[in-house]
Amino acid sequence: MTTSGSLRAARPGLGPLAVPGALAVAILLLTLLGPLAAPHDPLAVDLTARFEPSSLTHPLGTDHLGRDILSRLIAGARTTLGAVAAALALVVALGLGVGAVAGMLGGRTDAVLMRLCDVFLTVPTFVLALFLIGAFGTGLVNVIAAIALSHWAWYARIVRGLVLELKTRDYVLAARIAGAAPPTIFVEHVLTGVLPPLVALATLDIGHMALHVAGLSFLGLGVQPPTPEWGVMINEARAFFWTRPLLVVWPGLAIALAVLAFNRLGDALRDRLDPTLVAERGL
Amino acid sequence: MLKPATRAVAALVACFLGPAAAGQLTYSWPSNVGPLNPHLYAPNQMFAQASVYEPLVKVRGDGTVEPWLAESWSLSEDGRTYDFALRPGVTFSDGAPFDAAAVKANFDAILANRPRHAWLDLARQIEGTEILGPLAFRLVLKAPHDPTLLELALPRPFRFLSPRAMGADGTTAAGIKAPVGTGPWRLVDTQPGVSDTFARNPLYWGTKPAFEQLVVKVIPDPNTRVVALQTGQIDLVYGAAGQIPSEAFLRLRDMAPAFAAAVSPPLATRVLAMNSARFPTDERAVRRAINHAVDKDTLVRTVLDGLEPRADFLFAPSVPYADLGLRPYGFDRAAAARLLDAAGWLPGRDGVRMKDGRRLAVEVDFVGTNAQQRAIAEVLQADLARVGIEVRLIGEEESSILARQKDGRFGLIFGETWGPPYDPASFVSSMRAPSHADYQAQAGLPEKPSLDATIAAALAATDGTERRRLYAELLTTLHEAAIYLPISHAVAIEVHRPSITGVGFGPTINEIPFVAMRPAAR
Amino acid sequence: MLRFAAVRLALIPPMLLGVSILVFVMLRLGQGDPALDYLRLSQIPPTDAALADARVLLGLDRPLVVQYLDWLRRALQGDFGLSYVTRRPVLPELLGFLPATLELAGTALAITLAVSLPLGAWAAGHRGRWQDRLVRGIAVLGVSLPNFWIAFLLVALFSVTLGWLPPMGRGTGRGTLTHLIMPALAICLMSLSVNARLLRASMLEVGGARHVVYARLRGLSEGAVRRRHVFRNALVPVVTATGMHVGELLGGALVVETIFAWPGVGRYAVSAIYNRDYPVIQCFTLVMTAVFVLCNLAVDIAYAWLDPRLRLGGEEAA
Repeated sequence: MTTSGSLRAARPGLGPLAVPGALAVAILLLTLLGPLAAPHDPLAVDLTARFEPSSLTHPLGTDHLGRDILSRLIAGARTTLGAVAAALALVVALGLGVGAVAGMLGGRTDAVLMRLCDVFLTVPTFVLALFLIGAFGTGLVNVIAAIALSHWAWYARIVRGLVLELKTRDYVLAARIAGAAPPTIFVEHVLTGVLPPLVALATLDIGHMALHVAGLSFLGLGVQPPTPEWGVMINEARAFFWTRPLLVVWPGLAIALAVLAFNRLGDALRDRLDPTLVAERGL
Repeated sequence: MLKPATRAVAALVACFLGPAAAGQLTYSWPSNVGPLNPHLYAPNQMFAQASVYEPLVKVRGDGTVEPWLAESWSLSEDGRTYDFALRPGVTFSDGAPFDAAAVKANFDAILANRPRHAWLDLARQIEGTEILGPLAFRLVLKAPHDPTLLELALPRPFRFLSPRAMGADGTTAAGIKAPVGTGPWRLVDTQPGVSDTFARNPLYWGTKPAFEQLVVKVIPDPNTRVVALQTGQIDLVYGAAGQIPSEAFLRLRDMAPAFAAAVSPPLATRVLAMNSARFPTDERAVRRAINHAVDKDTLVRTVLDGLEPRADFLFAPSVPYADLGLRPYGFDRAAAARLLDAAGWLPGRDGVRMKDGRRLAVEVDFVGTNAQQRAIAEVLQADLARVGIEVRLIGEEESSILARQKDGRFGLIFGETWGPPYDPASFVSSMRAPSHADYQAQAGLPEKPSLDATIAAALAATDGTERRRLYAELLTTLHEAAIYLPISHAVAIEVHRPSITGVGFGPTINEIPFVAMRPAAR
Repeated sequence: MLRFAAVRLALIPPMLLGVSILVFVMLRLGQGDPALDYLRLSQIPPTDAALADARVLLGLDRPLVVQYLDWLRRALQGDFGLSYVTRRPVLPELLGFLPATLELAGTALAITLAVSLPLGAWAAGHRGRWQDRLVRGIAVLGVSLPNFWIAFLLVALFSVTLGWLPPMGRGTGRGTLTHLIMPALAICLMSLSVNARLLRASMLEVGGARHVVYARLRGLSEGAVRRRHVFRNALVPVVTATGMHVGELLGGALVVETIFAWPGVGRYAVSAIYNRDYPVIQCFTLVMTAVFVLCNLAVDIAYAWLDPRLRLGGEEAA
């Protein structure tokens, strides 16, 4: 990959991080607070209050079972983003683990692990996620597993590449000459170089994974109703679109906002942490 | 929320956008109709099998049987032998004659694959068949079986394929050469994932369809089906309530005269079966209290959009032998509370009733992806909570739910009777099969063995009065034991564009009366 | 370059083999009982006897390795088994649906490239000004909106309200384009946005490179500079990213096919997953992987052609 120096130098200060960061933090807070932030129980069915318009008690109205939409959106954030967070944690752990081992140990271990990565990378991510759902069944846990297993291999490769590059740095060579064992070298010297770009990439992927979670749930293959999840809400609302189009609009907007916020956050993080990655991922 | 003016414009545009070729009726179905083997099941679709193949007799709306390919029949004294006189002048669409030899060839093919049809009593009961003459056919049973004619009328498997189109050695279990029947339609084209096309059968003996062609487009998604109807891609929506969302149905009905819509009389009954072999539904008081605690009218009005009438019993009084004048378990929270109090279930601190340190908690098992079951389950949860019964919702995939039905691992589980002509005979017969949810639900009743004996006797009874008495005994026992929580009666819906007319409901849900439909006069 | 292509081609079979093992193992590890599903789909009551029969019929009673080798042997002959649902051979059915999906994904790819490249170049050429901000704004929206949501809104607007476009199905002859446009648009929006931004960033980077500066110094017009030096070189990362886009577009096609009743592989696969129709799920995964791999091969060849260093050096890029 040819680059002759990035045009955008990493800017100091919070600057570009401010707005998306704030939005993302707000979403995260809502997500974590979850049940406390939601004005009503997202699962509470009240058939006498179906399709209510916006009001003080129900700022976004109610759905076809009388459940408060705002509360379901907030709870949906929890489900969608929680699933993404869990999947990401798995992805990072797997990617870091496999990539680090392959990079540090080299030789046959490296070859075997990279072949394994290749196999996973050969299958397009959504197809792999669909397949894993087909193998393990639907539901939140399986969605997390499917998303994680379809994305980890790419991270493993990146980590391995980074590790290989960092291994040749002076301070690492010095540590090796001093006789430190590979794990120690890794944790003390290499990890600090690997984590920042990894975090930036992971943040950039949040939006993408959230869309996959919503997509799977929309198809009925992911999170199952009545668990509030944005993709599920869109699917349920389709039947009522003609008389109540807003029911479809709200969850779509929620997805868009969340994806937007995390994408911008990821962009800003990436600019800050490792500008050379701009060409790697193409985002 | 689209303004009325826009809606009117949309409807007008929809009327003119339709691609309906002259003489073509366009329908839709969630999948292709399959190879149309009359003696097999999935992926063959029943409505298509019923359009191409015909039975010896057909069932009417009142549950009686009318001659069809058999003009008349007689039953022997001992109730085991049926002699049919076949209709003359009927040919298959490939020209082969329909005669006793063809009938016997079909029965032989069906019985060669008997284990596949084990779900149907008649298949088990047939001892043999005989040709008595060119148009005379005899069917011999092992023992008298009252629902024989009803079961012969079913869409499958007892319908007739041309002997020339059967598979090797006159069998059909491994496949057929071509879907050739005696019915008003022939299958002429299949495009996987896209459509199936039927053409009018020029050799048909009865009233020929008014349309030359019937095109069935493959549309799996109910919302897409609504859009297809609105934009003129299809002329007709017809079938069980799941074909389109009920909200869409109501809206289309309100758009009259741009669309004509109707709801059929009640067909099957939607119920929840309660497990009498498991705590806490092993107590009659609990089951009765559950029956009293559910506000079915509100449920029907809201979840089912008022489309399905409330059900108070396992079979609607219009079902044969079910008009018994039993007292329904009406919606009465006080009565539910009294029953539970008397049984020793006292409200605990969090509102849930307790007895001997155990909570009154029941499990409701449903198919997670079925929006309607889920909505009903959630309403049940809310209603039962008001009388101190805690409900755990278990939404799983279809095969898991099926497994639960089979093993009896459920608290309350969704079920449906089968509708005409299966109700009541074939349905109650299946209550004796351990692999059915009904058996498992009833298994904890001390009177289960005698219930099964009553069923067997009712099916074998040759005397009408005796049969009536046996059914009354069976249904009353089931009602008193409160094994079922009936919710509503399933209905069929239809919506069609004004370009066609003559759309009515047949006596059974699995057969669609395409033959009666015709283009509207311009 | 022929050697390059040949080497890459030769790598495909072992990759597919690896994927097939992965697929096979995962499927058997999964929960659910295929025999029970088979009975349910055939509407046969699941008695124990019927289950035992079904297990033998489906070959589920033999050891795992034997099942895999058996499957592999048949697969190499083109026999991927019978679908549990339709009881017809899986591969021909799947291949029958494939062209529709490829048509959809291919059109989406064409729109992506046709729109994103000019947009990205335009934005790069007016850096910092309103054109740039407009394109970046569109791009930001494009990667945030779920494709199934857009699809649905498009149908609501253009089919039902305005009646301009057909809402479903695949057209033939003159109707092809009207049926294609909405699903393709819904799918390509994300890739289009990503690509536009990528090209823009790439062009800005290349724009500052030494050989470009020299070209300007030599007196070439800005337009010629852009066309000959900046654009062609900026295309390089874009071409590489195309491989990733193909994966996303294929995935997107699978999702929107349901909404548009598009007779493609996606609908077929989604219902196979609902029904736990394992032979179909297996074949689907492998076929889609093969398609993806071939597309990536094409992309790599294009990349090698574009970057003379690769072509002449005869070595793979890292």
